[in-house]
Amino acid sequence: MPVVEISDVTKAFENVTAVDRLSLAVPEGSVYGFIGPNGSGKSTTMRMIVNIIHPDSGTFLVFGEERSGTRSNKIGYLPEERGVYRKMRVRSLLEFYGELRSGRNVTAEVNSWLERLGLASRADDKVETLSKGMSQKIQFIATVIPEPRLLILDEPFTGLDPVSADSIRGAILEMRSRGCTIILSTHEMAVAESLCDSIFMIFRGRKVLDGTLDSIQSRYGSDTIRVEVEGRSNALGHLPGIERINDLGQVQELRMAPGCDSQQVLETLVARTRVISFSVVKPSLHDIFVRIAGPQPEEAASASNAE
Amino acid sequence: MPNRILLIARRDYLQTVQSKAFLLGLVLLPLLFGSGFFALALANKMDTKAQRIAVLDGTGIAAAAVIQACQEATQKAIRETPAALAFAPHYVFEEVKPEADQAAQLLSLSDQIRRGEIFALVDIAPGALHPSGDTSQPDVRYYANSSGLVDPLSLWLPAAVNDGLRHVRLVQLGLDQERVADVMRDDRVVSMNLVGKSPSGAIAGGEKRSLQSGFVAFFLVFLLFVIGTFGSASNLSAVAQDKMQRVFEMLLTSASPFELMAGKVLAAVGACLTSSTLYILAGLAALAGMAMIGLAPLHLIPWFFVYLIADVVLLSALAVALGSACANPQDAQQLAFVLILPLYVPMFLLTPVMQHPNGPLALVTSFIPPFTPVLMLLRQASAAGVPAWQPWLGLLGVVAYGLAVAWAAARVFRIGILSQGKTLKLTDLAQWVLRD
Repeated sequence: MPVVEISDVTKAFENVTAVDRLSLAVPEGSVYGFIGPNGSGKSTTMRMIVNIIHPDSGTFLVFGEERSGTRSNKIGYLPEERGVYRKMRVRSLLEFYGELRSGRNVTAEVNSWLERLGLASRADDKVETLSKGMSQKIQFIATVIPEPRLLILDEPFTGLDPVSADSIRGAILEMRSRGCTIILSTHEMAVAESLCDSIFMIFRGRKVLDGTLDSIQSRYGSDTIRVEVEGRSNALGHLPGIERINDLGQVQELRMAPGCDSQQVLETLVARTRVISFSVVKPSLHDIFVRIAGPQPEEAASASNAE
Repeated sequence: MPNRILLIARRDYLQTVQSKAFLLGLVLLPLLFGSGFFALALANKMDTKAQRIAVLDGTGIAAAAVIQACQEATQKAIRETPAALAFAPHYVFEEVKPEADQAAQLLSLSDQIRRGEIFALVDIAPGALHPSGDTSQPDVRYYANSSGLVDPLSLWLPAAVNDGLRHVRLVQLGLDQERVADVMRDDRVVSMNLVGKSPSGAIAGGEKRSLQSGFVAFFLVFLLFVIGTFGSASNLSAVAQDKMQRVFEMLLTSASPFELMAGKVLAAVGACLTSSTLYILAGLAALAGMAMIGLAPLHLIPWFFVYLIADVVLLSALAVALGSACANPQDAQQLAFVLILPLYVPMFLLTPVMQHPNGPLALVTSFIPPFTPVLMLLRQASAAGVPAWQPWLGLLGVVAYGLAVAWAAARVFRIGILSQGKTLKLTDLAQWVLRD
């Protein structure tokens, strides 16, 4: 049974439709990634799951039931715009949040999480004295104590350094291994690719992708060539059959037009420059994201006309 | 009561009572309240220099009698002023003989007043003992350098000068000193409490009305107003700040909006009870230390706490709701003004209610729920008291009104805490109250 089941949900704010006839099902025990450009409806969907805002139409089932209030000891929610009581000391704050949700003493769990995320030495400091990254880790701990069955994290990695991000990523995976279902939103496609079992993309309020990374990539086929050549992108201009070049620095991704033969592309490249590597691959999530959310040809044309 | 409400209340209570603002306010309130009296007492202690008042006697025979009457009046004023309020300069009256050039003499004496060499001048006209009936010209002129708005002499000096002049007239009629003294005898008039029936049916009361006990009761009313108002109003900015720091959204999976609001209101009640209990215990200890514990209005203290709790619940719920509707610090400042301003209405009514505690104005206004705590307690503190049913009916009104306000506040709060970046309109608040 899906932990979260959304059916035909629509939500509008005044004249803007934030979520439009959205349906999805989040499998139990999975990490479910929400991706989409800013303002596409990710946070609105998450807030509706938590029941902070209500849909105009459609239904939300969480653990098989329609929810009536916001409170639940099964759900941990880390909003995108988040804050904690800055005047409180770290340990008191976490005990307050944990006890509020569980109704029991959570000192042992607080100590364990502080130790695990490298904050034990700051346990008696006021939150206002912590760095932004440390504060985010405190907010994460406040969300996961006591361990919920459904964890909803809106942009949990924003602003974190790689070490802190890794520690949060490790914690998320460990929680999944203990049966917790995790829904998270992110702008980092690499995070979504490496962390999420299923990926859901919302664009202009509508679902445009939903499935595993493999199934999503398969839908686009192997239309991408990843090359490494001398002269890099300068050597790739006006290649026949190539629609778009995505310059990743050391490596370039070439998107082939329908009917384009990769062997002919290779021959053309060899004739132009020295080819170091050449492989035909499925498109990356980043590329898929840009294909969907990037400027459409007509939009790009109108933008250039306006200039 | 759900444990979550108590947890939220405990957190907010501890944060409040441990804050610098609370601790500073705890010290500053009695300092501010007492500073006026300290200043008066200090001025009295420092005012050891006698104030000289010249008596320019145009009649040539009235100076001694006038001076004696004025000195007796001075002593009486000092005698009848409570020690705690004593502010009576020591006046010394001196006769000045009229000179030929009256205008020059008046100018000279006025200059002495300006230089502070003498405090005032009483100028008795030559015909003052037997006035002609021409009321256009005063018989006695009083010159002083004061503004005239606050001049303690003006309270008793005219009567004293007249007593002196009447004394001379009686002597001129041939009465001996003993009979003159009998005619001029000043009978004491003492304010008494009304006589009533005790619960056993016996006629009781009629004791001397004590200014000090009235003052202590007024202090209780003042304490209720200050603690109730400022203890509750601080919730507005605290909630607005929490909202702007995005604290609430993280809490909403752990507690419902109603539980959050109830916890905050309960914390405000706790903080106000803490400070008021400290003040009342300190006040009782001070009275006991001065052997004046009899002045303590012990019968009012339970009502004080009942009204305080009702007042704080009512005002805190409003403050929390308004705080949740703020989008920025400017909103919080403006709404704090909107919240606090009506609370000052009872303070403007203090004087008429104290003068006529059972008059129509006092009766009606003390049953208007937002004003009931302060005005009903003030009426109860008056010597006349109020019928026993009135405080209970007033309390019933406050509770009913408080429940209605808390209901509306909870409905505003549940939406307000999640409404970010939107400039507040009063119509929004009304819609939030009515929205399902």
